[in-house]
Amino acid sequence: MSFLNSLFARKRDSSAELAKQRLLTVLIDDRYKLTPEMMAQMKADLAEVLKRYLPAIDADQIEVTLSRGEVHDLLKADVPLRRVPDHHPQR
Amino acid sequence: MGRVITVTSGKGGVGKTTTTANLGTALAMRGARVAVVDADIGLRNLDVVMGLENRIVYDLVDVVEGRARLRQALIKDKRLPELCLLPAAQTRDKDAVTAQQMIDLTNLLRAEFDYVLIDSPAGIEAGFRNAIAGADEVIIVTTPEVSAVRDADRIVGLVEAAEKGPAVLVINRIKPRLVSRGEMLSVEDVLELLAISLLGIVPEDETIVIATNRGEAVVYDPNSLAGRAYINIAQRLAGEDVPVMAIPDQQGMLDRLLGLFGRRRT
Repeated sequence: MSFLNSLFARKRDSSAELAKQRLLTVLIDDRYKLTPEMMAQMKADLAEVLKRYLPAIDADQIEVTLSRGEVHDLLKADVPLRRVPDHHPQR
Repeated sequence: MGRVITVTSGKGGVGKTTTTANLGTALAMRGARVAVVDADIGLRNLDVVMGLENRIVYDLVDVVEGRARLRQALIKDKRLPELCLLPAAQTRDKDAVTAQQMIDLTNLLRAEFDYVLIDSPAGIEAGFRNAIAGADEVIIVTTPEVSAVRDADRIVGLVEAAEKGPAVLVINRIKPRLVSRGEMLSVEDVLELLAISLLGIVPEDETIVIATNRGEAVVYDPNSLAGRAYINIAQRLAGEDVPVMAIPDQQGMLDRLLGLFGRRRT
């Protein structure tokens, strides 16, 4: 299997794959000019809004990434929720 | 009315001038009336690539400033009577021409030729903006390298912003052996990164160096892979329904297997 993989798939550590991954990051940064400060602020704002609906949100763990898509570029937010003890909230 | 097509790149040295000269020649070989325009004011080069440097009397700036009529400044190609060059001025800088003057010039040319190919200067400043000012279509040339692809992406955005898009892509200087070893960005990689459609691909080819030394287009050489690639691109530009030419990998399957085992041992 690993033989077939190395024959038909590109090795993860090939220089072309590295070039592609570096370019993905650079092109997104060039295009959207999102500074690290703006990114941090956006995460904080996201957490504030989402917490109104989901108190279990772990604000420090939110991950926001920009990536290239075929038709659109994509803003993706991974928002982990703290597991809450298994009880039904009282109405 | 002819089509005005600007060839640009962002990064210098990726093959804009060679592409302009060879596409112009290939289109003229098909019988089209073609003007190639050197818009790189102050760094004139299209004339030497085409071997017409000894025939220049007037240039683009002379026409724009009214010292010469368009017909006086256009230089006929050595072989193809339907192919003409409008050279850049060598002793002026890029501020010698305005965007409006370029639009007026392209309108004059559009009336006389089927294709007007404009060789843009590198960069994203006034020279580039002038070169696309009168364009109907834009071809972006890149090579499969990080710096060229990054600059090409900037150009994609600027062409869109100038409402000249969507641009189409020519990927130049592809080394198939390096691609198959995973040490060069593939055509698919570049297309995925830039997200524009592919006009054509050109392999790295020594015949380009030799032809340019002689001041001849490489499309005349039937044995040149790059020449055949430019003919393929010209066909596609002219609207023929032909696929992008495949570049044969000079390294066979057996070599690749041997190479694989060779590398694994180290």
